[in-house]
Amino acid sequence: MKIFKGRNLMVSNNGGPWGSDSNSGDEKDSGGTESPVNSGGQIPEIDELMKKGQEQLRLLMGGRGGKKNGSGSGSGSGSGGGGGLSRGSIGLIVLGTAALWLFTSLYTVKPEEQSVELFLGKFSAIGGPGLNFAPWPIVKAEVIPVTREQTEDIGLGGRGDSGLMLTTDENIVDIDFQVVWNINDPAKYLFNLAEPRSTIRAVSESAMREVIARSELAPILNRDRQVIADTALKLIQDTMDQYESGVNIVRLNLDKADPPLEVIDSFREVQAAEQERDNFERQADAYAYTVLAGARGEASQLLEQSEGYRAKVVNGAIGEASRFSAVLEEYKKAPDVTRKRLYIEAMEGVFGSMNKILLDDAGSGQNSNIVPYLPLNELTNSMGKKLGESN
Amino acid sequence: MSKGLFFSIFSGGILVLLFSSVFIVDERETALVLQFGQIKSVKEDPGLAFKLPFIQDVVKYDARILALDTVPTEVTPSDDRRLVVDAFARYKISDVVQFRQAVGVGGLRAAEDRLEGILNPVIREVLGSEGVTSNTILSADRAELMARITRRARTLALPLGLEVVDVKLKQTNLPEQNLAATFSRMRAEREREAADEIARGKEAAQRLRAQADRTVVELVSEATRKSEIVRGEADAETNAIFAKAFGEDPEFFDFYRSLNAYKIAFTGNNTTMVVRPDSEFFNYFKSDSGN
Repeated sequence: MKIFKGRNLMVSNNGGPWGSDSNSGDEKDSGGTESPVNSGGQIPEIDELMKKGQEQLRLLMGGRGGKKNGSGSGSGSGSGGGGGLSRGSIGLIVLGTAALWLFTSLYTVKPEEQSVELFLGKFSAIGGPGLNFAPWPIVKAEVIPVTREQTEDIGLGGRGDSGLMLTTDENIVDIDFQVVWNINDPAKYLFNLAEPRSTIRAVSESAMREVIARSELAPILNRDRQVIADTALKLIQDTMDQYESGVNIVRLNLDKADPPLEVIDSFREVQAAEQERDNFERQADAYAYTVLAGARGEASQLLEQSEGYRAKVVNGAIGEASRFSAVLEEYKKAPDVTRKRLYIEAMEGVFGSMNKILLDDAGSGQNSNIVPYLPLNELTNSMGKKLGESN
Repeated sequence: MSKGLFFSIFSGGILVLLFSSVFIVDERETALVLQFGQIKSVKEDPGLAFKLPFIQDVVKYDARILALDTVPTEVTPSDDRRLVVDAFARYKISDVVQFRQAVGVGGLRAAEDRLEGILNPVIREVLGSEGVTSNTILSADRAELMARITRRARTLALPLGLEVVDVKLKQTNLPEQNLAATFSRMRAEREREAADEIARGKEAAQRLRAQADRTVVELVSEATRKSEIVRGEADAETNAIFAKAFGEDPEFFDFYRSLNAYKIAFTGNNTTMVVRPDSEFFNYFKSDSGN
C-alpha cells in the first residue's frame, strides 16, 4: 500500500494535498494485504533526497524564502514570495549607498573660502560659501581659502637669506618685510602655478632686491620707505599677474630697513654728530643773542647820553646868554661905572686868592740892565710848604 | 550555476576594459598616450579621453608653471668685481612630445637638471658680457638684464620642450670676504659724515658769533655817529645862542668874558704872579690921586 501511495506521490509530486487524501482512502479500501515494513524503509529515503535537491535548486533560484513554503506551494509561488521579502533589504542597501554617495558629494565652503569644481577633470564651476554639491566621482571639488590673508616673511633669517641687500651706491642694507596676500581667482590659483607659496616668496625677494638695487642707501633708511614698499608691491603684483597666478598682493609691510649690525654704531655716531652740530649752533645763537642785546643797550645809551649832552649844553648856553644879556642891559644904562666896577671886582677876586710878588722897578730905572734876583724855585717851594701846612 | 558565474566574470571584464580605455585629464595636466613606448597622441585639453586598453599607456605631466631656484654662483662683471648671484626660473612644459623625447623617463627631475645647466651659464654670460659692470647690475638696468637672461634661456630651453616664463635675479651680493671691506668703507663714510657734521656745526657757530660781533660793532658805531651828530647840533645851537646874545655888543662881550676868564683861570692859591704895580688896578696903589 505504502509503496503504491509512495509512487502515487512520486508521480503526482506537485499534486499537493491530494496525495494525503488518497492515502487515507486507500487504507480504508485495502487494509493489511502486504507487509509494508520491508520496502517501506528504503523508498522514503530516495524521496527525501529528491526533495532536498529540489529545495536546494529552489534556494538557488528563488532565495531563502523557499524553505518556509516548500511543503505547500509550488515553485512559482515560492519564488514570488522570496522576491517580495528581499526588496526591503536591497532598498536598505541602495539607500545606504545613496547616503554614502551624497555624503561624499556634498561639501561645505566656509565664508572665507571658495571651491573649484572639476567635471571629469575639466574646470566647470566656482562654488561659493555654503553647502555645495559635486556628484562623485565625475565632479571633483577643491576648496581654497580665498579672502583669508596669508603672509610671507622675508629677510628674517629664514632659509639662509639674511635680508642683507646691496644698494646702488654699493652699501648694504638689512631689509625685513612681510608680504600679505590672498587669492582673487581660485581657478587660476589652482591651475597655473605649481608652487604658489614659494613663488610668492621668490618673486617678492627678487622684486625687493631689484628695487633696493636701484636706490641709494640714505633715502631707504628714512624718507623713501613708503615709496620702496609701494614700488616693490607693484612689481610683485605685476609678476604674479604675468604668471596668471590669481594671487592678489594685499599689502607689503616693510618691517625693517636698517644698516647692518656691523655698521649701525657708525650710523648712530652720525646722529650724535648731527646733534652736536645743532648744539654748536644753539650755543652760538645764545652768544649772539647776548651780545646783540648788549650792543643794542649800549647804542641806546650812547644816543641818550648825546641827547642829554644837547640838553645840558643848550640849556647852559641859553642860561649864560641870558645872563650876559641881563648884564649888558644894565651896562648900557651906566657904561663907565659898571665897566670899572666889573673890572675891579674881577681883579679883586683874581689878586685876592693868588700868590703875588710885586716888583716896583722905580729904583732900578727904566733902562737899567740890572736884573733883580728872583729865586723862583725857592719861592715856589716855600709856597708849596706853606700850602701843605695850611692844608 | 555556471551561467551566473560567467555573467559576473563577463561584466567584470567589461568594466575593467572600460576603465582601462578611459582616462581623465585634469586641468593641471597634459597627458601623453604611449603605445609600446611610441607616442600616439597628446591630450592637452582637460576632460574625458579614450585609449586602447592594455596596449596603450598614459603618462601625465604637470601643465602648470613650475619653479626652479638656482644655487648661488659667483659672477664677474666686466669691472672685475665679483658678485654672488642666485636666480629663480619659472617655466612650464610647452611641448610634451618634445619634452618626453628630450628628457626621457627622468621626468621633471631630469628637466630641472638640464634647465639649471642652461641657466647658470646664461646668467654668467649675460652678467659678464661687454659693458655690464657691477654698477649696471645695481641699477635700474637690472630689469633689462633679467629680460635678457630670460630671452636667452628661453631660446636654449625650447628644444627641451620647455618654455621659460621668466628668470629673475634674487640676491646679488658681495662675496663673504668682500663684506668686511664694504662694512669698513661704510663705517668710514659715516665717520666722514660725522666729522663733517661737527665741522659744519663749528663753522656755523663761528659764523654766527662773527655775525653777532659785527652787528654789535655796527650798532654801537651807528649809535656813536648819531650821538656825535646830536652833540654837534647841540654845539652849533649853543654857538648860535651865544653869537646872538654876544653879538649885541662885541666890545663889552670881550671885556666881560675876559674878566670871567681871569676869575676862573687865576682862582686858587697855586698861582704865583710877579707883577709890576702899574696896571690900572694899581691906579691908587701909590697915590690917592691916581698915577
